[in-house]
Amino acid sequence: MKPEVAVGRRRLLAVSLVALAGTVALLTVGVGTVVAAAAGAASQEEGCLACHGAAGLTLTLPGGESFPISVDPAVLRRSTHGSALTCATCHPDHTRYPHPPLTARTLRDYRVARAQICTTCHSQEAGQFAGSIHGRALVMGFPDVPTCTSCHGAHDVVRASAPAFRNNTPQLCGTCHGDPQIMARYGLLPVYEAYTREFHGVTTALYKLTKPYSPTPAAICYDCHGVHDIKDTEDPAAPVAPRNILTTCRRCHPTAGRFFASAWTEHKTPGPGASPLVWYVQIFYRVLIPAVLGFLAVLTVLDLSRWAGDRLKGRPR
Amino acid sequence: MRSRHPGPAVQRFTLAQRIEHFLLIITFNVLAFTGLPQKYFFTGWAERIIRLMGGIETTRLIHRTFAVLLILQSFYHIGAVLAARRAGRERGTMSITFRDVRDVLLDIAYLAGMRRERPVFGRYDYRQKFEYWAVVWGTAIMATTGLIMWFPEFLARFLPGVLVPAARVAHGGEAILAVAAVIIWHFYNAHFRPEVFPMDPAMFTGQVEVERLRREHAEEYARLVEAGIVRPLPEGADQPALPSVPPQ
Repeated sequence: MKPEVAVGRRRLLAVSLVALAGTVALLTVGVGTVVAAAAGAASQEEGCLACHGAAGLTLTLPGGESFPISVDPAVLRRSTHGSALTCATCHPDHTRYPHPPLTARTLRDYRVARAQICTTCHSQEAGQFAGSIHGRALVMGFPDVPTCTSCHGAHDVVRASAPAFRNNTPQLCGTCHGDPQIMARYGLLPVYEAYTREFHGVTTALYKLTKPYSPTPAAICYDCHGVHDIKDTEDPAAPVAPRNILTTCRRCHPTAGRFFASAWTEHKTPGPGASPLVWYVQIFYRVLIPAVLGFLAVLTVLDLSRWAGDRLKGRPR
Repeated sequence: MRSRHPGPAVQRFTLAQRIEHFLLIITFNVLAFTGLPQKYFFTGWAERIIRLMGGIETTRLIHRTFAVLLILQSFYHIGAVLAARRAGRERGTMSITFRDVRDVLLDIAYLAGMRRERPVFGRYDYRQKFEYWAVVWGTAIMATTGLIMWFPEFLARFLPGVLVPAARVAHGGEAILAVAAVIIWHFYNAHFRPEVFPMDPAMFTGQVEVERLRREHAEEYARLVEAGIVRPLPEGADQPALPSVPPQ
């Protein structure tokens, strides 16, 4: 019995040693590869940043527009792509110098063309976007339609699930949807102002101000309208279409009663045509407050002046 | 104040009434302090107050906690009024009558120098009645609209949802009205009026000097003298004769 046990132990030891050596070797090779790759990427980045890291560089397009081509290394590193992508991932034909000439004539053309590179990885979002009102309008060539970088930025891309990105969304959408001139071109209402005064908008604004690291629990633009698949509000399939709106409300307000949808004032300023009840209440208080306060102020002034008058004339009160 | 009006005093407010008033000071102020920043959220001071509270969620939690306190207090008040009525104790003199309307007009005429004599007031004059009913009206509106905003999902089971944004407008408007009315009217009458400056202590001591009662609530004074509760003060040279007590 005893020798057998000894042999078993020796064999076990040998097998263990081999396994350990193998693991160490594999780890060394693996880490070495990653380190080498990172070093390669880093050196390549350094090559790009040797020129593009300088502040204030601009490029002028044939159409006459110029745009900045400087990249702040700190911003790039902090971005969500910073640790995952290299310059060449998004600029594959710019790895040599001199760079090939740009084909875009205008900044708009350049940005629309650049958005193509995003679809390489984000194909699902690209597919949704193509079918959205923004995507369809982009194909039609309207100049104000957002592309990927309009909302996500280029070198400063932040994770879309970050609280800051969520809390900042209304303002982001508001850059266009709060601009009456841009909206007028498409027959749309500038809704951003009205949103900021709504209950959801107030909560979101307060989160952005006082709790920037907590995502607002109140509905923001994409909670109701969709993200990359935003539809025309007139589209019967839109989540905000009259037939779907209550279902959309119930995603956050699961116990909402059947008359709940009219609590939403459609991003319109109350008036005789939009939520008239709200408008009447506004008028009521616009009249009541100055009337009551004015009456009280008059009584107060009268009381004080009678007292002063009595004192001046030496009358007891 | 006491030093200005030495002399005998009578009970004007019970301990329970004074506690009620003290509670109302606390609830009203906390509600205003946590509510106004929500209305004026876009200002710097509102941001600082909300930050101080630890964010909008905590601000709303404090606001709603004190709102519940105020609502409970209101129910207590209604109960106390009804109980006092049933027990035959006098507490119904708060009801506004035609006489109060007349008193306002006569008092304005007096203050404007168009009349020599100030109208004679009962236990509570028109100013005090106005303040009382302003609190009742304000609390009713604020509680109703506040609950609508707190439970919009439940409301929309029975009533149109448009009541929610309407309630929000009313809540904000009524808040401004209440706070401004307190600052103009209550602060003036209870603090800045030359006769009481810097403060009318009656609501805290529960007592009012008989002399002041005779001057400001002559009818109540006459009633208390008649009932033998108060010993009549010596007639001052400038003091008009006692008004006759109207039939109750």
